[in-house]
Amino acid sequence: MKTVVQAALVIVVLSAIGFLLGPWQTDIYRKLLLWIALALSYNFLFGVAGQVAFSHFTFYGIGAYAIVILVTQVGMPLPLAALAGVALCVVLALAVAIPATRLDGFYLALATLALAQLFIVFLNEGGAVTGGTGGLASYRLPDIAGVTLSGPRYTVVIVLLTTLTWGVISRLDRSWFGRACRAIRDNPQAAAAMGIDVARTRVIAFTLTSVLAGIAGMVYAFVDNTVNPPIFGLENAFLLLFMVIIGGSGSQFGAVIGATVLYLLPFVLAPLIGHHHALVFGVVMLAVILVQPRGLVGLVKSRPGAGQ
Amino acid sequence: MSGQTTPQDRGQPLLTVRALTRRFGGLVAVSGLDFDLHAGEILGLIGPNGAGKSTTFNMIAGTLTPTTGDIHLAGRPVGGLPPHEMAARGVMRTFQHNNLFAGMSLRENVMIGMHVGLASSLLGVITGRAAVRESEGAARRRADELLDFVGLADVREHDVTTLSFGQGRLLEAARALAGEPRLILFDEPAAGLAPAECDRLGRILQQIAARGIGVLLIEHDMRFLLELAHRVVVLDHGERIATGTPEEIRHDRSVIAAYLGSSARTTAAGGTDA
Amino acid sequence: MQDLIEILISATAGGCIYALLALAYLVVLRPTGVINFAVGDWGTVAAFGGFLALSEAALPWPVGMAVVVIAAAGLGWLTERIAVRPLVERGAPVLAPILALLGMLVIFREAVSLGFGPDPRPIPQPFGYGRIEWGLLAASYQSVFIIAVTSAVFVGAWYFFERTLAGRSFEAVALDRRAAALMGINLARVTSCAFAAGSALAALAALLLVPNTSAHYLMGIPLAIQGFTALVIGGVGRTEGALVGGLILALVEQLTMRYVPIAPGLVQGVPLLLLIVFLLVRPTGLLAARGGSA
Repeated sequence: MKTVVQAALVIVVLSAIGFLLGPWQTDIYRKLLLWIALALSYNFLFGVAGQVAFSHFTFYGIGAYAIVILVTQVGMPLPLAALAGVALCVVLALAVAIPATRLDGFYLALATLALAQLFIVFLNEGGAVTGGTGGLASYRLPDIAGVTLSGPRYTVVIVLLTTLTWGVISRLDRSWFGRACRAIRDNPQAAAAMGIDVARTRVIAFTLTSVLAGIAGMVYAFVDNTVNPPIFGLENAFLLLFMVIIGGSGSQFGAVIGATVLYLLPFVLAPLIGHHHALVFGVVMLAVILVQPRGLVGLVKSRPGAGQ
Repeated sequence: MSGQTTPQDRGQPLLTVRALTRRFGGLVAVSGLDFDLHAGEILGLIGPNGAGKSTTFNMIAGTLTPTTGDIHLAGRPVGGLPPHEMAARGVMRTFQHNNLFAGMSLRENVMIGMHVGLASSLLGVITGRAAVRESEGAARRRADELLDFVGLADVREHDVTTLSFGQGRLLEAARALAGEPRLILFDEPAAGLAPAECDRLGRILQQIAARGIGVLLIEHDMRFLLELAHRVVVLDHGERIATGTPEEIRHDRSVIAAYLGSSARTTAAGGTDA
Repeated sequence: MQDLIEILISATAGGCIYALLALAYLVVLRPTGVINFAVGDWGTVAAFGGFLALSEAALPWPVGMAVVVIAAAGLGWLTERIAVRPLVERGAPVLAPILALLGMLVIFREAVSLGFGPDPRPIPQPFGYGRIEWGLLAASYQSVFIIAVTSAVFVGAWYFFERTLAGRSFEAVALDRRAAALMGINLARVTSCAFAAGSALAALAALLLVPNTSAHYLMGIPLAIQGFTALVIGGVGRTEGALVGGLILALVEQLTMRYVPIAPGLVQGVPLLLLIVFLLVRPTGLLAARGGSA
């Protein structure tokens, strides 16, 4: 009960902030929340389950494109389109994860890198369906039960997405499932000896987090009311990885800190170094791996990610 | 010590191994091995280096598939099942080199040992169903009991990387027990332990067996093994050369011959006065 | 017919580039178990090195090429010192250097972008734009040059890995690092050499490629993906696998482009599909070369 009250309080506060911001800050605020949602689910996949995948942003894109295409071109009602988008993410995630997670090593990294690139090729060549290199634009979120969700009200939707992602991930993390994922990350052989079905657990972790990314993508689709290929490319997949590592791999707070710092840093750095903030990210990420493997959160907490 | 009831008269064995054979290419690592293990029994598996102990161990643990032969657990065939399936059927194991989950507390390590019993619907986990929370709480309490049992209760919140090697061994035992197993396979548990730690571990093994759990013990330290085991199976070149009580094994000529030239011989001889 | 032969030759040349990149992965992967995605951006740095040496300084090709390849070996050595050695010494899991190398990848790319800007930079053809025509055989000088250099590299690599003691020590380290240490193989030196060689090979691939395409700061990721696709297709068990994989990849690419009626953009997806298919049907390749360290 206490957690429900806490969650409600967080949602109210974060939503209230959405009503106070001007248009420019709103845009930054919304995207920051989306990055945090993505970093949270990716942290579970990479940091907790130890899977090196580059497809998280691809599933974000799949969710975004799927809902736009299904709503505007197929003419599905929104809830049905959302369900279909989730189903699509599940099918694709299983198709990638079942063969790729069967084995140790870096197959998943290679397969998901290929998938990420393939998705961009597909978007660029998808003709009228995907809008090609220009993507899709000039659509809008259909009214839900007669209510138009726009402006701060849509910010509330994003707040709900991010807090729900936090809730789902933290429950998973603290459960037998989260422990099984950590066990596999640290020592698959010993994990199997404990009765953990390594392959199955990996597939489930990949699919669940990919679906969460897909759902975030669906919410993103109506933020700018445009989706285009460059957003979902490898650049952002790398950025997401950097966020999780720099924040503190395996820690939920780390994911939030990493996403916040790396998303906001370019705004601070722009006057100093223009568009070369990625160089700073690279250096910081390297430094974190070499000097502070627990990430920024490790500077504060002594034992992050060990569950409470 | 010895002199306990011979376990053969306890009805159906917990583990039966029949004609178990494993080849690696042309090499026959284990050949036509037969033995039984009863609930509550500590069975020692010994033999010189390369005798096939580890291969046998790994086949029962599920990490190796037998080439031919059968392994039955409580009458059900289990040969060739993968490790997690073996664990799900109540066969837990420890590792020769401590195989703990780093970055986690002792308690969490033990709770991972409870995976089979705890795993429930993920939907229940995500929705925070009360039953899930209750079983989690119960698991935590049981983990603390087990840590208390092996004498690690006061460091249960610590990260396992802070443990000494000997403490790690004890934690592995607690973790194996957490799965409520019918059979625990111990892979050289005494290796690298100080004498006092050995004694403690020995008492824990006896207590485990007293709970009705079968214990299969591979051990290099002959004194440790002969003191604990109810029965001993001796392997040499992949074949069983002797079975019997520790007392019989100490005086078995073929066993002494098999160990001739190896340092274990002196250990075995030294064991007689134990 | 002549058309087909010309396609085959240009595909062979393209395949040679992929093969060199695959070999650049392989020389690092074998002794260390590290799959180094920075291979592509080693190539990028070398391509801009080539721009400086061959276009700006207008050095003769053999000299410029030698200078860049040697400098690239130094870069590889430095990469290992910065991003790999400290982690190996600390006993970090093998994932740590892989991620650190991803950081290096971004640093290389952004440094190039900072230094040279976003515009492509041309590199002169070593032998001009001429063609050899010899009966049905027709090929550009550049294709012939690429094939010749790659053949020489692979003969050398094959000889090194299969016939020399030093090459064998790479293998031994890969199979069992502990045993290699016992045999007195200097792990640190093998690892340094592996990275230097990997970077030199990536540089060679890039230098052979850029006269046809020019140097661009974003060229790294495609090179990296082509390289490991070739590696996965060819398998990592044998040195010549890299060559076979590269050639298969390029052939499929070129033949699809020429004979299959799909949009040219979609052809870019073909190697990626091929990669996924090979990961599905031949999933033993990479695992075989990974040492015991997990």
